[in-house]
Amino acid sequence: MIKLVDVHKSYTKDKETIKGVSFEVKKGEIFGLLGPNGAGKTTLMQMIATLMKPTTGQVFIDGMTADKNLLEIHKRIGFLTNEIKLDPMSTPNNLFDFFAALYDIPENELKDRRDESFARFGITPFADKRINELSTGMKQKISIAISLIHNPPIIIFDEPTNGLDILTSKQVTDYLKELKEQGHAILLSTHIFSVAEELCDEIAILVDGKIAAQGTVEELIKQSETDSFEKAFFKIYVENHVE
Amino acid sequence: MQKVITVFKWEIRKLFSSWRRTVTLFLVPAVLLMAALNVFPLLVNYMSTGSLNKKPVTVVDAPESFKSYVENTVDARVFNYEYITFDEFQKMNEDKAAFKKQLRKGMLICLFHSGDPDKDFDEEIRSYYDEIYAENENAVSHAVIYVGYDYNSLTSAAKAEQFKQTVLENYQHGLIDTLGGDYALVGSTFFDTDTFNPVTKLEDFRTIANTAAARVVPGVLMIMMYYCVYSLVSDMFASERDRGFMAKLLMTPVKPRHIYAGKILAINLIVSCASYVTMLLLFFSSWINRSNDAMSLLPFGMMLTPTELVNIIIVVPISVLLMTAVCISIVFSLDRMQDITVNLQLPLILFLGDFFLQMFRGTRPVTMEYFVPLHNTMQLVSETFMAQDKTWHVIVVCLLNLVLAFIVFAVTFRKEELK
Repeated sequence: MIKLVDVHKSYTKDKETIKGVSFEVKKGEIFGLLGPNGAGKTTLMQMIATLMKPTTGQVFIDGMTADKNLLEIHKRIGFLTNEIKLDPMSTPNNLFDFFAALYDIPENELKDRRDESFARFGITPFADKRINELSTGMKQKISIAISLIHNPPIIIFDEPTNGLDILTSKQVTDYLKELKEQGHAILLSTHIFSVAEELCDEIAILVDGKIAAQGTVEELIKQSETDSFEKAFFKIYVENHVE
Repeated sequence: MQKVITVFKWEIRKLFSSWRRTVTLFLVPAVLLMAALNVFPLLVNYMSTGSLNKKPVTVVDAPESFKSYVENTVDARVFNYEYITFDEFQKMNEDKAAFKKQLRKGMLICLFHSGDPDKDFDEEIRSYYDEIYAENENAVSHAVIYVGYDYNSLTSAAKAEQFKQTVLENYQHGLIDTLGGDYALVGSTFFDTDTFNPVTKLEDFRTIANTAAARVVPGVLMIMMYYCVYSLVSDMFASERDRGFMAKLLMTPVKPRHIYAGKILAINLIVSCASYVTMLLLFFSSWINRSNDAMSLLPFGMMLTPTELVNIIIVVPISVLLMTAVCISIVFSLDRMQDITVNLQLPLILFLGDFFLQMFRGTRPVTMEYFVPLHNTMQLVSETFMAQDKTWHVIVVCLLNLVLAFIVFAVTFRKEELK
């Protein structure tokens, strides 16, 4: 569903942020991108989400590239990043209606989708409150509801549990598992080991714009000859990081 | 097109979802500018006279005809009059240094001199007209009105000039009606046309008011328009990009150009409406200003003909479009919010400079100025107020700004797509 082939990205002529990344995310799989700040996770995710063009290399979404099928790709992707802040003066209802109109969701389906989505995340009592009156967790839940308004087969989540309390984080991770069972392909970036261990079928450790190691949690532990995923990550990082 | 309207509606609804945003955009700048325009003449008055009151004029040996003229003429009442006798004037003149100081501070002296020790000023004029009526070829008047001021002080000289033009000239012309006797019945008109033709009266006021407005209104309009464009582009483009909401919009199955078009349409409608509201307030301010003082920035009677109004209504949204294009190109060419904010303010300084140049320039625009983007809008509005606008000016300004706006949009969005 998502396929990256030797993707490079440079913002300036003398520095490459992404240095030849290739991986594949299949249907019904959660693929994790793990790495420290500045490793290139967000750049990579933005390129997959078509918000940025690779300098060289190709990103395929269901076999399509953004050059030729941009709008079709957008219909198939749900993208969420914790950097998104919703308009503070809008209400969840307004936002849902607006994005539903942009995604061409028919009027007769709109109410059911809204009821279902709002009920799942407990948004219903706050549906007519302004965003600036809501908690961080609630805002994140609204962002998720809006990102998945069109029920996309491919989901890209950049640090979805960042800044959330334990209860809300649990709700989000449970929802991700449910989406995986429904057959969605999920690409997840996180720096929380427990989230990666619990959710991801496969993990790529990104260091300085390159994939330093890739595999299941068990494979990574074995590969690094350590006894925990956390230790494995640090060992791989130290071995591959250039000062 | 449907998606463009969806984004447009969303932006409009967003603006009106907060009364603070609405008031900030529609009323605050207009009211502030209006207040500034009314305070500015007071400041000038204070600087030239040392007083916030009306400008004082000391009238020496004022004849009855002058006192009566002042009482019955609105224009004459922009000055405050202090009537003194010639003896009092001589006493005042004894201390030369103090007298000069008072002149420098803005005191204006108006001295009526009949030229004949046996007659007062009015009698001298009356007998002069009688002699003309009697076809006396040697008829001559020795009556003189002296105006005393400090010619080294620009403000004092300007005030004296204003007094001569707005008060003395009209008074002198009116003398023939009040003192002309039989001569007035033959050589002058029987009635004042203004009494019977209010339109003529308004046209007279318009001449003064529109001349003042031609200096002030275009600049006010441009600054107001740019302020609104700047705030809205900051909010709809820079802030949304900064907080990631733009990315969310660009991830929807809508062409980026349609998203931008919806926003640009919303900016254009809001700013055009805000500009029309400002214009309306400026007109309102002029029409409630009872004074016809040439020093006032918005004197009574500002008026536009329907065609002139249509010209301005057309030229405003086109200029707003070009301003929006410039602002968006700044936003898209920079990454940091701080840099964007600073760079968006730079054109505002240019508009302020242009505004002050327009206020104090003494010449009509040259043809080349109609080919300078946005500056041409200011010149066109100015010429419209002066009733000097020509069709080709309107066409050049609209076409040039429109074409340039589309070129800037095309280049900016193309660059953004290639990122």
